[in-house]
Amino acid sequence: MLGLVEFGWTFAFQIINFLILYYVLRKYLFKPVTGHMNSRTEKIENAIKDAENKKKEANELHTEYMSKLDNIKEERNQIIKEATRRAEERGNEIVKAAELDAKKILERANQDIERERQKAINELKDQLSTLAIITASKVIEKELDQQAHQQLIQQFIDEVGEVTWQN
Amino acid sequence: MVGFGPRIVYEIPIFDGIPLSDTVVNTWIIMAILITFAVMASKRLETVPRGFQNATETIVEFISNLTAQTMGSDKLFFVPYMGTLFLFLVFANLWGLIGLRQPTADINTTFALAILTFIAIHFFGAKRKGVGTYLKGFLEPLPFLLPMNIMSELSTPISLAFRLFGNMVGGFIIIGLLYSALTSFSSMIGLSFFPILQAGAPVFFHLYFDLFSGVLHSFIFVMLSMVFISIAMD
Repeated sequence: MLGLVEFGWTFAFQIINFLILYYVLRKYLFKPVTGHMNSRTEKIENAIKDAENKKKEANELHTEYMSKLDNIKEERNQIIKEATRRAEERGNEIVKAAELDAKKILERANQDIERERQKAINELKDQLSTLAIITASKVIEKELDQQAHQQLIQQFIDEVGEVTWQN
Repeated sequence: MVGFGPRIVYEIPIFDGIPLSDTVVNTWIIMAILITFAVMASKRLETVPRGFQNATETIVEFISNLTAQTMGSDKLFFVPYMGTLFLFLVFANLWGLIGLRQPTADINTTFALAILTFIAIHFFGAKRKGVGTYLKGFLEPLPFLLPMNIMSELSTPISLAFRLFGNMVGGFIIIGLLYSALTSFSSMIGLSFFPILQAGAPVFFHLYFDLFSGVLHSFIFVMLSMVFISIAMD
């Protein structure tokens, strides 16, 4: 039994014991746990910062794409308008060309008709002059009196027939 | 009459025989518990704490916050010292709850701890301020107060050691006396084979002397160590 208040070897033992305990707990408990907690705090802070940055980026991208989309819509409208305009122009051109063609064809047809008619008149005139010469020779053969004259003319008309004299 | 000094468990046969008291043996048991706890706690640290790791982190964080608040965040390297001190003192002071002698009910233990704090006070004070400025501090506020200042510094470890020792040994003696008194009461009413009076009544004494006083004085010892060291450093 040692005295209640007596300094002895225990003092040295206890100092060594405590230093060993301090060393071991520092190495195995406080340093790793504190380091672990600090690194976790850092990790969480980084994660939050990262998330905020990503959110900001996403918002920027969103606005950018929205404006791009607006531009695209406008562009599309313009393209459609342009296409419509061009189609109309082209249609008009085609119609105009067709009209022109039709006019030309009509003109040519008219010309053809005119030419044919002229030809027909000329032929008629030729025949008429021949007939006139024949008639004249007949008149010379017969004596001409009023009655015979009338008769001749009537005969001539009959011979010519009901040909139109309009031209 | 049985004495209340530490018993000698074994005598190491070198020099004139080095006595190994039960204080030292109990300290070794506490050390074994704490070291096992520390190794187990830090073996697998995960980012998301679960179960056991929560407890470990709570303890370390509590001591860390206490150190940061009391000493300032520039002195966080004292966390392992203060933490070891606190954990050891809590275990040592609660050692009476399992019926063994508290290591802190021995002046050698408390004085050893107080001397370590004393060394820390003066070593880190001189290191932070520079030896010249530090020594000049003993001449303040007036040079002739030097003996007073020295005495005040020397009384720090003594008061630290004896405060804790007194409280712990007081509780230890009272509870020891209570148990022997209850044993003799039991035999007086013819229950010497079954001292039933020892059940129940000592609980309140244990609550006060071991649990309340023990935790409180662990805290006081650690807080005072923090305050003295940080005062010496600032």
